[in-house]
Amino acid sequence: MEILDRALEKGVVISGDIVISVADVDLVYLGLKVLLSSVETMERLRGAPFSGATEEPT
Amino acid sequence: MKELLYLYCVTKDKPSSCNFEDLGIKIHPVYFRGTYALASSVSPDDFSEDNLEKHLADMGWVEKHIRLHEKVIEEIMRGQAVLPFKFGTVFENETNVEKLLKTNNLEFKAVLARLEGKEEWGLKIYCDSEYFKDVICKEDERIKEKDKEIVSANKGKAYFLKKKMQEFIKEIVNEKISEYTKDCFERLKITAVDTRINKILPKEVTEKKEDMVLNAAFLINNKRIKEFENVLGYLKTKYADKGPIFDCTGPWPSYNFCGSSKEKTNKR
Repeated sequence: MEILDRALEKGVVISGDIVISVADVDLVYLGLKVLLSSVETMERLRGAPFSGATEEPT
Repeated sequence: MKELLYLYCVTKDKPSSCNFEDLGIKIHPVYFRGTYALASSVSPDDFSEDNLEKHLADMGWVEKHIRLHEKVIEEIMRGQAVLPFKFGTVFENETNVEKLLKTNNLEFKAVLARLEGKEEWGLKIYCDSEYFKDVICKEDERIKEKDKEIVSANKGKAYFLKKKMQEFIKEIVNEKISEYTKDCFERLKITAVDTRINKILPKEVTEKKEDMVLNAAFLINNKRIKEFENVLGYLKTKYADKGPIFDCTGPWPSYNFCGSSKEKTNKR
């Protein structure tokens, strides 16, 4: 998971000749099992700011 | 079909060895004015645009290739600072790689100079919310007071007070978590040259039962690594049995710190 965190999302972001779309990366990042409930998860993933736990743990 | 070039990273010098036999990879360095792009030949069966898109849906394929990507970069990193590329940066030919180096020549040199002699370390902090709630309920004076109120109240009022108590506990948990994570982050930041706060990952991704409450990266001068470790040790002791769980990893290739100076970071 740590590797996914870094190699998939970060590093020098320059378009090579082959382009991976953001949606493709999200698919990988979440893993296929999460894809099924993914819209809400993706929204949460996209913007939790640094403020500690802001949601009641489910 | 013609082979493609898969890019791992950019460096200032050519690596001492370009042959990674145990990984089955041969590095093909592409030079331009003081920078090397380190790539290897890959098959379009794997990395053509269509095939890559298909493969990205296959976690087994992804895991294998990301690990390879990471291992190659880490090998090169033993010898010098690297500017790691995001996974899946693929070019059709050497000329295009050279163009990349030319366009970004000054930027790459500047970032490499900044990364020389530094290491990236990551820190994730998790909190077991239930455990946390228990600790707080036992220790927080305000909650103990409210508990007393509930015990002495009549049934109707007690119900109402209990509901308010739940809200209050939630607030305190958030307050404490914020306080603890801020304390940890600020103390470690002192030992770092640069820091980055990343998004919190949900349980579906971490597969842990605790919530992630901090996801941070630190760029640390080699000479201050010991200091960083000492502060971390201090924090682990300070917060032992209070709830926070520390997950510190590194050194990593500087994935979090290879952006341009235009990017927002928490620079000192």
